[in-house]
Amino acid sequence: MDPVSILLSFISVVVAGFLAGLLGSLTGLGGGTVLVPVLTLFLGIPIVFATGASLISTIATSAGSASGYTKSKIANIRIAIGLEVATTTGAIVGSLTLIAVYKTGFIWIIYVIFGLVLLISLVPTINRARFELPKPMKPDWTTRIFNLYGTYYDQKLRKQVDYHAVRWWLGEIVMFFAGFISGLLGIGSGALKVLGMDWAMNLPMKVTTTSSNFMIGITAATGSSIYWFAGYIQPFLAAATAIGVLAGAYLGSKILVRITNVRIRWIFFWVLAFLGVDMIFSGIANKQGLPSTGTISYIGFAVSIVISIVLLLLLYAKVRRDRLHA
Amino acid sequence: MPKLDQNSITSLILKSGVILSLSMIIIGVVLVFIRGGGDSMSLSQVANYHNPGYTITSKSLLPANFLQGLINGDGLYFISVGLWVLIFTPLTVLIDALITFGHERNKLYTLLDAVVLFNLLIAIFVIPRFIG
Repeated sequence: MDPVSILLSFISVVVAGFLAGLLGSLTGLGGGTVLVPVLTLFLGIPIVFATGASLISTIATSAGSASGYTKSKIANIRIAIGLEVATTTGAIVGSLTLIAVYKTGFIWIIYVIFGLVLLISLVPTINRARFELPKPMKPDWTTRIFNLYGTYYDQKLRKQVDYHAVRWWLGEIVMFFAGFISGLLGIGSGALKVLGMDWAMNLPMKVTTTSSNFMIGITAATGSSIYWFAGYIQPFLAAATAIGVLAGAYLGSKILVRITNVRIRWIFFWVLAFLGVDMIFSGIANKQGLPSTGTISYIGFAVSIVISIVLLLLLYAKVRRDRLHA
Repeated sequence: MPKLDQNSITSLILKSGVILSLSMIIIGVVLVFIRGGGDSMSLSQVANYHNPGYTITSKSLLPANFLQGLINGDGLYFISVGLWVLIFTPLTVLIDALITFGHERNKLYTLLDAVVLFNLLIAIFVIPRFIG
């Protein structure tokens, strides 16, 4: 390859990273969840390098956005670090599982799990932010022992919000799985972390999303070092994605505050649903020993478009129905 | 003694880590293009991320060689150091938080932070010896 086409290929990965960072930030799913499918499905990059580049880029976006959140004191660093006990343990187990899966040659499983995780993550992501503050729950024994109290100034509600978390143990269990998925798939698994703090521990949405963002970096760093020595990080590729994803996520965070039209987010959700279905399709094609390019991939694209539209319509109908009942 | 503002220090560490890392990565990419490759591999080999068997991976870029690589002006080592700055940024945050919890005499969270730090250090220094 001549230097010009190498430069063009490099730029195309930066652009892919940029779009992934932008979409990941606008939907709240994080850059990695979008980056891995884009790199494997559209740019034909082996999933082993895609996950490696994605995980290490995730640290950059987490650190980049968390530096703003932590300064405004919304993120609860104390609660976050307490939960990192489980996410880092999960990340170690997840990355070691990935190594075992690669060694045994069951790569197709990673595609399928990735697709499923992406589709399942969409549900809490779509439902997110319907309520700013959770229904109050009585403090339990973990609230006192682990000092799960906090306070922050909510600009939207224009008041100081005092909050407390409950069920620390349940949060830790969910966080272990979040870490495991992060290490296994090379993503930040922000959706699962949000589930742990929002559903399990009953924390306010703002505290949950910002603390989760801060935690993603620590979890991803744990997996990344294992990936490094396993040889899953292609430095030139990771350089391109780190630059692209960070720039995209930065722009996304700037646009996010200006997007008032909720419907536009459904287009983004559709893109994610499409990527999820196509990852599952690619995994199944891979299992059958079918090539990932040519006619098979076009059929896959067409089938995935149809299935993702149907899935999204069903989800949209459910959300509408829930809102009417609420 | 003025109370340490944990959030502001954390924010500063995260921001500096990202800026330092990205600067190293960008310098590295420019060097790889100018010098036509790195770590005795040609530009084509370095950029061949479509074929795992025919390109360079993180496995052969050992942290022990990072300093020599930087001195030689090898772009791949600049990228590697940039990526490792990313991995170490959260570690610095944990160390800083550990000091803060210690100052506050918060025994429980000093312990929890130490466990997280222990996990991260195990992932960086111990597990690599058994994989590979």
